[in-house]
Amino acid sequence: MAAPIPREWTGLQQFPAATQTSLHELLGKLKEENVSTLTILVMGKGGVGKSSTVNSIVGERVANVSAFQSEGLRPMMCSRTRAGFTLNIIDTPGLIEGGYINEQAVEIIKRFLLEKTIDVLLYVDRLDTYRMDTLDEQVIRAITTSFGKAIWRRTLVVLTHAQLSPPDGIEYNDFLKRRSDSLLKYIRSGAGIGKRESADYPLPLALVENSGRCKTNENGAKILPDGTPWIPNLMKEITIVVSNGSKSIHVDQKLIDGPNPNNRWKKYIPLILAVQYFFVVKGIRRAIHSDIANGKLDDWEQRYRDLVGSGNPVDLKVSSSRNPKA
Amino acid sequence: MVFTSGAMSISSSDAKSRSSAPRNGALASAISAAVASGGTGRRPPGSGGGFLSWLFTAGPAQAAEENPPSRDWDAHDFGPRMTVPFERLKGAKRYKVSELKFLDRGPLGGDARVTGADDPLFEGSALQPGGVFTRSQLLGELEALSSSGMFERVNVDAIRPQPDGTLGLTVSYAESLWAPATRFSCVNVGGLVPPQADETEDDDMTLREKMALQRRQDQEYQRRLRSATKPCILPEPVRGEVVQMVRKQGRVSARLLQRIRDHVLSWYHNEGFVCAQLVNFGNLHTDEVVGEVVEGEVTGVDYQFLDKLGNVIEGKTKLPVIDRELPHQLRAGHIFNIGAGRQALKNLNALSLFSNIEVNPSPDETKEGGVLVEIKLHELNPKSVDVTTEWNFVPGPGGRPTLESIQPGGSVAFEHRNIGGLNRSLAGSVTSSNLLNPQDDLSFKFEYTHPYLDGVEDRSRNRIFKTSCFNTRKLSPVFVAGPNMADAPPIWIDRVGIKANITENLTKQSTFTYGLVMEEITTRDESNDVCTHGLRRTATGALGMNGPPTTFSGTGVDRMAFLQANLTRDNTEFVNGATIGDRCIFQLDQGLGIGSKNPFFNRHQLTVTKFVNLNKQKNGAGKPPPAVLVAHGRYAGCVGDLPSYDAFALGGPHSVRGYGMGELGASRNLLEVATEVRLPVPMVKNTQVYAFAEHGTDLGSSKDVKGNPTEYFRRAGHGSSYGVGIKLGPLRAEYAVDHNAGTGALFFRYGERF
Repeated sequence: MAAPIPREWTGLQQFPAATQTSLHELLGKLKEENVSTLTILVMGKGGVGKSSTVNSIVGERVANVSAFQSEGLRPMMCSRTRAGFTLNIIDTPGLIEGGYINEQAVEIIKRFLLEKTIDVLLYVDRLDTYRMDTLDEQVIRAITTSFGKAIWRRTLVVLTHAQLSPPDGIEYNDFLKRRSDSLLKYIRSGAGIGKRESADYPLPLALVENSGRCKTNENGAKILPDGTPWIPNLMKEITIVVSNGSKSIHVDQKLIDGPNPNNRWKKYIPLILAVQYFFVVKGIRRAIHSDIANGKLDDWEQRYRDLVGSGNPVDLKVSSSRNPKA
Repeated sequence: MVFTSGAMSISSSDAKSRSSAPRNGALASAISAAVASGGTGRRPPGSGGGFLSWLFTAGPAQAAEENPPSRDWDAHDFGPRMTVPFERLKGAKRYKVSELKFLDRGPLGGDARVTGADDPLFEGSALQPGGVFTRSQLLGELEALSSSGMFERVNVDAIRPQPDGTLGLTVSYAESLWAPATRFSCVNVGGLVPPQADETEDDDMTLREKMALQRRQDQEYQRRLRSATKPCILPEPVRGEVVQMVRKQGRVSARLLQRIRDHVLSWYHNEGFVCAQLVNFGNLHTDEVVGEVVEGEVTGVDYQFLDKLGNVIEGKTKLPVIDRELPHQLRAGHIFNIGAGRQALKNLNALSLFSNIEVNPSPDETKEGGVLVEIKLHELNPKSVDVTTEWNFVPGPGGRPTLESIQPGGSVAFEHRNIGGLNRSLAGSVTSSNLLNPQDDLSFKFEYTHPYLDGVEDRSRNRIFKTSCFNTRKLSPVFVAGPNMADAPPIWIDRVGIKANITENLTKQSTFTYGLVMEEITTRDESNDVCTHGLRRTATGALGMNGPPTTFSGTGVDRMAFLQANLTRDNTEFVNGATIGDRCIFQLDQGLGIGSKNPFFNRHQLTVTKFVNLNKQKNGAGKPPPAVLVAHGRYAGCVGDLPSYDAFALGGPHSVRGYGMGELGASRNLLEVATEVRLPVPMVKNTQVYAFAEHGTDLGSSKDVKGNPTEYFRRAGHGSSYGVGIKLGPLRAEYAVDHNAGTGALFFRYGERF
């Protein structure tokens, strides 16, 4: 798929000056590390605010957002350049349909991402959901099987709807901690990250509030309840992930297909056949031969053998009833 | 002994033959009659050497011939008298004897013991109550009794005319008595030259001459016994029992000899040697009783093919084909045993070449005491054709069947058996449920079977070559929706191909089969169109898009050639109707890289089932079947190219009970374990209750099937079930709990799970 010609990142200019400055700083930092292109993949369940987040980052309305409808099945990529730096953000449709993973959507996403390199995965979920279920695990598992476990090293967990009032009697930070802990737990189990590996998979967290009612600070920058402007914070977290030393994920045909199970062990088939012949077949035949050797005869035949002898009339057993005098 | 076998009548005729087996069956009597009349029977009765001839079983046969059951007898005209002398019977009248009494006047009889006509001593006599005799016939009967050697004398004591015109008869007798004996031996005289007609004691012989004659006869007898090369199979304990009988009795009497004969013969007959006869007692003047036994040695086998009318015809079946089915105990030189006869009948019946089989031992006229095994066979018609037709219709939208839904269907089957008389057969069947459009679902099978690949004469080996050409259609258990999903549209797997294999019967139940299969697999959807991918219904009811590929090539049509082998070890046996033993099956499909996209694979399955007799119940008539523990395990796997139709389906009545076919998934490898405890229901025959638990898992290999049909159709990939059931013969009713959903359901099934 031919990438659309990147447009100038005009949306950057509508951010408050302070935000622009910090974003420029971050871009400069990336440039120092010879990163001139940044591809961000946004994934998550449907309706968690993926597209809104994309719009917020770009500063434009690039993705259609509607409150009640899912956005359709096609992923969408928007590319913006600024001062020689290219930002690609790939918005994906929700993976869940009818209570199950929509493999078809996963397939489309995989094909869309073919021959692209993912620098950062934004795994998006809402902060204001209280309960996790197997669906989350399924989504995480689908991402893992599609792109490999390594993608979780390049992941930033994004929690949307950050401006919320927690349920009664819970401190905001306390709620945030509990919510993020349970989400991370699910991610680790769904991605198969063991306890020992958790250091390799830092899974940093960023909060987002896309709503227009989001509070702003004196500079006009949208802020989180704790007063941090979240867009620069999000970009900062992204740059941290980018420069955490792990490799970007290049999506090629092999990654999409996964290892072909038909080819696994295929070259050992002659060997397997030999093992089957010499151990299984020979073993069973031996058992059959022993069955024959100590096989039970029919009752009459056994009795006949006992009384008359094994069969050959010449070597009949000499009966004890034979008259010695005769 | 006559065995009769027909398609449905084996049991009944067997039962009949069994009931008459032990003693004095029709055949046994026929043989003994022949033996008696042909040889020793001619010996002069009660000859001085102390010989005794038995005419024991010839009697009933004669009686049956001479006295047909009729009511035309003449009433006596003696009036109401107490007794009449024998001389007053009129020669022209036919008297009916309604009452018969035997009066023992011999020294052992004590105080004139009176017995009825059921006295075993007279069982061979035609003199029976209810019989109709003329005077001369009565005389003849008495003469026969007194000349049988068992009696010193036999007289009619009294004739009591009865009011109804019949006669009451009292016969007095004195048993023959010989010297007291303390020993008993048994000699096999089968195959010996019949003794020469002896010189008989003459009244005008001097004492010296008599002594000399007796000595000569003794020597003659000893020589004869010495020439008996074959020992008796009568075991020592039975002989010991007879010795006890002899010692207890003291003097040897006819009654004792009869009891000895009955005892010895009942042993023989109970052991199945139904042709054994005790033809003579010898050496009666010494202290040793010698029983001369003919055990019924088989002298030959005679085959007869009969047509429907019972005429002897020339059979089509080659004799070696039949001959190899006979147990060796039925061949010349062996003692005829009823078990061997039954076995031969069973083996011959298993050939399914004959509609009726009789295995019939008959006396060999050319060799005394020999038994000629006559096998009478009615051959089945080698060619048969069977045509069936049927109408199918389905209710239309209005609930009534519409005209266009009516489809004529039918099948044609033909069979040509016993080609060349060598049991080769060609069978074929063609079935279609829609004769108007037979190409839609035409299934056919043509099979040629060629037994005795190593030659008919080679009895040690029986390899059967089979080749067949087939077209089958099956519903794929791979493309089946999981429990929480709307039903997936069915995928049909059509296989057309040819198969050639060789089956080697290693034991009765263990076989080794290997061969080559070439087939074309076409996957079709509901509307009979070739399809390439499975489909599923989404929550909204729409058909989802591309699911797992149905074929290896991706085109919907695969062709492949592969080697197939199956090795079955089965040593199970029935203990009072319950299966006990081990069964182990290894199946292998080895791809050759020949076919669409060169499929190369090794697909294998190992099934092990153990039936353990829990209470060590022994086999025996009337005993209840044992409690059985069944342990079952099955591993299946595939290395290499695996098309979805060859994936292993998990779940179903023969995989994990309580789930539908393929409800648990379709995988590359699978493991199933199952256990079942079966208990017989006391008092109710053929009924068992059982409890089972089963588990099946895909071992995580569902993802290794292309398209992951297990996940696509939202199946669990593993599952357990447990339940209880009751089995009535082959019918099973079971309640199985699906452990994944936690719900139970009642199932009715036919046949065995294991």
